[in-house]
Amino acid sequence: MDRRKFIKCLGCTAAAAAASQTDFLPRALGGLQNAYAFSYTEKLSKVEARFYKKLEEGGIECGLCPRHCRITDLERGYCGVRENRDDVYYTLVYGLPCALNIDPIEKKPLFHFHPGTTAFSLATAGCNVNCKCCQNWDISQSRPEQTKNIDMPPKDVIDICRERKIPTIAYTYSEPVIFYEYMSDIAELGHKHDIKSVMITGGYIEKEPLAELIPRLDAIKVDLKAIRTDYYRDYVDGELQPVLDGLVQMKKAGIWLELVYLVIPTLNDSDAEFKELARWIKTNLGSDVPVHFSRFHPQYLLKNLPMTPEATLQRAHDISKAEGLDFVYLGNLPGHPAESTYCPGCGEILIERRGYRVAPRNLKGNRCGSCDREIPGRF
Amino acid sequence: MVPLYIICMSRVVVVKYSGNADNKFLDKKQYRRLLETALGKLARDADYKTYIMQRFPKGAVGMKTNCLAAFNPTLSPLIDALSELITKNSKIDNNDLIVWERTNKELKRAGYKLNASSFGRRYLGTDSSGVGYDDSQFYSAGKVDSMVTRILTRMVDHNINLGVLKHHSIAGMSAGMKNMYGAVHNPNKYHGNNCSPFTADINNLEPIKSKHRLTVIDAVRVQYDKGPGFNSKYMGYYNGLVLSENPVAADSVALMILDHLRRENGLPQLAATSQKVKYLEAAEKIGLGTANIKSIDLQVAVVASDGTTSTGDLF
Ligand code: SF4
Repeated sequence: MDRRKFIKCLGCTAAAAAASQTDFLPRALGGLQNAYAFSYTEKLSKVEARFYKKLEEGGIECGLCPRHCRITDLERGYCGVRENRDDVYYTLVYGLPCALNIDPIEKKPLFHFHPGTTAFSLATAGCNVNCKCCQNWDISQSRPEQTKNIDMPPKDVIDICRERKIPTIAYTYSEPVIFYEYMSDIAELGHKHDIKSVMITGGYIEKEPLAELIPRLDAIKVDLKAIRTDYYRDYVDGELQPVLDGLVQMKKAGIWLELVYLVIPTLNDSDAEFKELARWIKTNLGSDVPVHFSRFHPQYLLKNLPMTPEATLQRAHDISKAEGLDFVYLGNLPGHPAESTYCPGCGEILIERRGYRVAPRNLKGNRCGSCDREIPGRF
Repeated sequence: MVPLYIICMSRVVVVKYSGNADNKFLDKKQYRRLLETALGKLARDADYKTYIMQRFPKGAVGMKTNCLAAFNPTLSPLIDALSELITKNSKIDNNDLIVWERTNKELKRAGYKLNASSFGRRYLGTDSSGVGYDDSQFYSAGKVDSMVTRILTRMVDHNINLGVLKHHSIAGMSAGMKNMYGAVHNPNKYHGNNCSPFTADINNLEPIKSKHRLTVIDAVRVQYDKGPGFNSKYMGYYNGLVLSENPVAADSVALMILDHLRRENGLPQLAATSQKVKYLEAAEKIGLGTANIKSIDLQVAVVASDGTTSTGDLF
């Protein structure tokens, strides 16, 4: 690939995405291919994975996420992107993103992290859970042979960010935990060049890899999909407790953290759940962690359910505020007042948002311009 | 007269070749003799020609290979012999036969020449241009939802599962049913709890279940431990094939063979290990077939090198 052409293309893609509100990246890359004879690679990587151990009886056990897949020769873990070859475990997606774009940081969403800036966003195939409502299922639930991948080692990612003056890299769309080695190496290299990294994740990761990763990242956004274990079992194919443990670990480590809760009609939208969620957050993470309640659109395996009514989102908002959370946002509702940031002290508007348009109002550095209260985040 | 309860039982035919004292690979002719004998036995009162005519009257026939382990795949003499029997004894010709796998790479690694043309027996991976997984529908028979290869949903009318009997360190065994992991886009989601009930679920997906006609498990050379990757140190020889229309019954008999070879080689039965084969029971529970050996009408035949056949014992 001619990298200059590619960088130029990204500009076009980002502009087109902003204009059309379509952001899905394989499609964007498809457009690039037509315009610039952009080429994909069919090869898979063979970079030794981290956090696995060999088993006495043969095979390996992966310790990257709470699944602890036990994998025999030639087989892959649940995520589909890690393979045992002769009892050496490899990541097959190192340097092989299948989705790339330049997004507003608000789209992650991260509202208290350098608002109004952009993030070079990338993903590989694969995921370690299987949410029935996944909006990127065509890459997250695919194996890397089934996606169109391009050859982009960490250095190329950093070069693009430097040339385009993109301050942040976002590991997003699918599940970055499953491309841990790639993400970790990019993030480390990025810090050497003052480029920040944010992980947009379901938070299904083991303690040790998370502990090693946190210093390389600058912010994490976690999709907390529900506060009930049965939801995680039935609609995520995962477990809730490791996610909660991970959130506490992140908070204790001091990394900037925001949460998204996708509200799905009938599945996780009761008053009791909203209350339980707010109380858990307040007790375990603190009232200053921003929470985004996001509107569900029917897709993937949940096409039978309707879009979330605005009233339900409002209810989630009101209950969370009443329980004492300071920053409660509503997502996928462009134009709603709860897209904006208000000072929890005096109620003054600090950052006004309309969709991805961001206008600073009364924020002075990281303080409210009206009452001087400190506003948590990285501004 | 055959009692009615026997007729209703799932028939599994094991056909052994007694002329392979030095455990060589079988050639097409030898496989063909085994297949003729076995299909004749599956035909009950008819002969193998009638059986083929009735089971594969017309349409396109898929043959799902198992090429995961490049050095221990479904072998081409078996495919050639089966193809010949079908084309000679039905209205189906070579153009209507599709030998298929998950990927072209796996077929090629196992020594097959790809053929995606419109002429001759096709050799296709699901990743061949114009094939892919059928994204018009997700199929589910349990916890996981999957897209199924278009080879099954759009291209063939009948499918023959050409599994290779071997040890599998997660499921315990790979024979026929495990081979169908190659039909879905997300096989990695089906590996928990010794692949149970997942192996049953995959075989219960509508396009897989409805197109299934026959399981043919190659048990000539059987890797009885450290599978599914190839490991010559654990290669045993049974010199036989297992055939059945009932996928669960075929695998249940295959498990007996695998356990027999393990016993002969000083290894514990799989049921006594952490690699217990659990999916058979799960499959029986959902009505996919018979796992209880007592309910299986097991026929064992022995073919000698001169082509004569006789009845025999499983071991
Ligand atoms: S990262 Fe992948 S292979 Fe490792 S435990 Fe999680 S799902 Fe399994």
